[in-house]
Amino acid sequence: MSVQGLILDLHTFWAGRGCYLAPSYDLEVGAGTMTPDTFFRVLGSRPWKVGYVQPSRRPKDGRYAENPNRVQKHFQYQVIMKPSPAEIQDMYLGSLAAIGVELKDHDLRFDEDNWESPTIGAWGVGWQVLLDGLEITQFTYFQQCGGIDLSPVPVEITYGLDRLEMFLEQKDNIYDLDWSGDVSYRDLRFREEKEFSEYNFNAADVGGLRRMFDLFEREAARLIGRDLLLPAYDMCLKCSHTFNLLDSRGAISVTERVKMIGQIRELVNGVAEKFTAGKAAS
Amino acid sequence: MEFLLELLTEEMPASHVRSGLQQLGERLRAEIAGASVEVRKLETMGTPRRLVAVGDFGAGQPDSEQAVTGPPKAAAIAPDGSYTQAARGFARSQGIPESALVVVKTAKGEYMGFTRRAKGIPTGELLVGIVPRVLGSLSFPKMMRWGTGQLRFSRPLHGLLCLFDGKPLDLAFEGLAARDETVGHRIFAPRTIVVRTLADYMEGLRGAEVIVDPGERRQAIAGQIEAFLNPLKAKVYPDPGLLEELIYNVEHPLVVFGAFPEAFLSLPIEVLSTAMREGQKLFSVVRDRKQLPRFLGVADAVRDAKGLIRSGNERVLRARLEDARFFWDQDRKLPLAERAAGLKNVVFQEKLGSYDDKAQRLKKLAGYLCDKLGAAGLKKDIITAAGLCKADLLTEMVREFSGLQGKMGGLYARLEGYPTAVHQAVYEHYQPAGLEDEAPTSLAGAVLSAADKLDSIVGVIGLGIEVTGSSDPFGLRRNAHGVCKVILDKKLRVPFPLLLTRALAGYGDRLTLKREEVKRYCLEFFSGRMRFILEKQGFRYDLVGAALGPGLDQILDVLLRVKALDALKSSPLFEPFILMAKRINNILKDQPAGKVDPELLIEKEERELHSTFSIIRDNAAPMIARGDFGRAQSILFKIQPALNVFFDKVLVMAGEKRLRKNRLGLLQAINRTLLAIADYSQVVVEGEKAVPPVRR
Repeated sequence: MSVQGLILDLHTFWAGRGCYLAPSYDLEVGAGTMTPDTFFRVLGSRPWKVGYVQPSRRPKDGRYAENPNRVQKHFQYQVIMKPSPAEIQDMYLGSLAAIGVELKDHDLRFDEDNWESPTIGAWGVGWQVLLDGLEITQFTYFQQCGGIDLSPVPVEITYGLDRLEMFLEQKDNIYDLDWSGDVSYRDLRFREEKEFSEYNFNAADVGGLRRMFDLFEREAARLIGRDLLLPAYDMCLKCSHTFNLLDSRGAISVTERVKMIGQIRELVNGVAEKFTAGKAAS
Repeated sequence: MEFLLELLTEEMPASHVRSGLQQLGERLRAEIAGASVEVRKLETMGTPRRLVAVGDFGAGQPDSEQAVTGPPKAAAIAPDGSYTQAARGFARSQGIPESALVVVKTAKGEYMGFTRRAKGIPTGELLVGIVPRVLGSLSFPKMMRWGTGQLRFSRPLHGLLCLFDGKPLDLAFEGLAARDETVGHRIFAPRTIVVRTLADYMEGLRGAEVIVDPGERRQAIAGQIEAFLNPLKAKVYPDPGLLEELIYNVEHPLVVFGAFPEAFLSLPIEVLSTAMREGQKLFSVVRDRKQLPRFLGVADAVRDAKGLIRSGNERVLRARLEDARFFWDQDRKLPLAERAAGLKNVVFQEKLGSYDDKAQRLKKLAGYLCDKLGAAGLKKDIITAAGLCKADLLTEMVREFSGLQGKMGGLYARLEGYPTAVHQAVYEHYQPAGLEDEAPTSLAGAVLSAADKLDSIVGVIGLGIEVTGSSDPFGLRRNAHGVCKVILDKKLRVPFPLLLTRALAGYGDRLTLKREEVKRYCLEFFSGRMRFILEKQGFRYDLVGAALGPGLDQILDVLLRVKALDALKSSPLFEPFILMAKRINNILKDQPAGKVDPELLIEKEERELHSTFSIIRDNAAPMIARGDFGRAQSILFKIQPALNVFFDKVLVMAGEKRLRKNRLGLLQAINRTLLAIADYSQVVVEGEKAVPPVRR
């Protein structure tokens, strides 16, 4: 049992359900939802099926590698099916069986949880899936993205890979996981978590980050003006990550937080609006 | 005949199941009874995946007979015995053969006519229209679309079972054709079950590990909990809301009993129980009011043979408690007073400023309340508490568990050695969270709670934000209920309009509306809320209206007034008194205000009324002032004989203007005293047609 084995099982399972297996996106994102393979593809009417691993950064969750559960970068397995198939819940249960969960020995619950991401103007209705009280998946019927109503409705299934593997290996410490037969999570991630925690909480240059935020924001706006929507969206992602770093440095007041999230959302909504308008025209 | 309906869905939130079932029951009943079909039984039940209605209805609408009369016999039958043009035209227009016409005797004479008989429609046919209509009318607080469809519902739909008299009905709802089958438990028995009768359905599902009846699930949970706890002489830390939710979260409840390391018992019980409740929805376990290192959870499972459900929950809880302990340790590193300085950066409401601004307003408003309540001794402590009470919004613990706001501040303040009144006030100042929640136990807590809520209400209303049927974004109703509950439960005598004035003054020029306007709106709003609260307590709506009549000078008095009315309503003196009060009210309608001049009372009866009234008024006044409306009312009853004689012998609307004005002035003086107790004109007495007021 290993993280790698888990990823392979999920890849095999979802590829078998018609998903295109996308490479992880090469920018810092807070969640798999934010990458173009989800963001742009849930807009418009074209069907889409995709599965991918996405490293997700939450600078504030760093704990200097001292907490057995929390890390500033974790791994999500993201699935999008659009339109949402009628049998998607059964399909999802099938994926759990495929990774070795004997459901009859456990308590599996679809527990109300309506996900939203104010930064990218997205929200949906669905559940957090609890397995013996552990949240292993976010299961969402997307209703809106980039401020635009979605039709057909995509379903998003986001597995927390680290948590799920801890569950499967019955381990209490994330660093005790095996990534592969020879390589442990500790080998790969321990130093990274330590150094990034120091960076996120203490070392990051606040003044520099603020200038970067402004720079990325202006660049995004400029690119939207020139209809270069994918690069513009990349700039929005950079804004978002820069904002998260400033936040973990404790540099953002509550008022400022609302304002900055609003700035990013406005840009993202602008991208989505132009993107769907262009689609309708072409 | 037996009716069975099941809408099979993906997992709905507990609140949606409950409200969906209520809507389903009410609307089915209204539609079926509305179609003149007998409803012998109609019940609803459900699980997170099933909205179910079972009923026993009549076979169909009754056949109807209607007598139809046409032209008079004399005009319908010609002298030769044949039908005239009039008779033939009538038959044609009614679509019947002439041979069906008969002579009908009526009070007005003999007419041609016939009896129209209509067959009632069978219930099964009616249901084909009713069921889709009712299902389509269900609404939920948050609705969703799915797939390529446009329907909005709580969660996606999967099946529709609909039987009447043992046969599936030929109907469909949004593309789902009604069938005679359902499916069992998602994990333990996901098989198809064919159903002909209610008994098939209940037993079939039971065999497939689904308990459809929520009452049965409740009992199962209670029974299993007792089996675990009785031997330990322990109890569940009561949480009825959680139990209600869990009942509707599972199709097959299995209680698991787990433990956590004793070291975590160093955390306060508030933190422990919140960490258990939020996320995993676990119950805390107590013995002799002390927390035990144990928990109870409700799983949707048949058994936990390998103990994996228990150990899994233990592992998750341990991680959560680890986090909670980290927050507890972190938070205590910074004293509350220093933390409070950061409130400048926390927005209370964009236009109403920061939480620091709010804290400064609260100091003044709570201080004013202390003065008015004659609790000067508490003033210093309450002002300290007002300055500290919002600081915990900046603690890690409250960021993680928002339900602990106030409580954490109180706990930290106690550890920092603040006086009892201070930390208690901070701890309790969010209470009550609603009408069902307890008001603060301490006076300091009550004062701070009322001040905090009132400050929010006048601020939000002052921005012109209105509370309508479904829209109450700032929870103003809940806040107003909190203020009323604190005042009523703690028996606080505060001049309410003055309190509003003070609360408004705290905002300076931040508000959009004029202060007088806000005040008027607030009084109206609170009046509506008091009506709601008192009617909910079971007081008659007309008595509530009467008690609200004199206004909201003292909110507490409204309750005391309605209690007095309620206690006296069965007295034999009550009804004549009400009629008399109404009579006075009618006479005075549209009359200009006047004064009574004793010199002008020329008749013996009016002089006697005047002197009786003067004595009664002087006796009642102090009782009214201290809120003893029952006794004041009893004394007022005594004015009746004198008034009766007055009305018998004295003409109020006398020809001479001076006398008339003086008599009206006397009645107005009496009316003013009556109005200080209640607006009796709103009380409905036997024989009057009552129209309940439109609710707001």
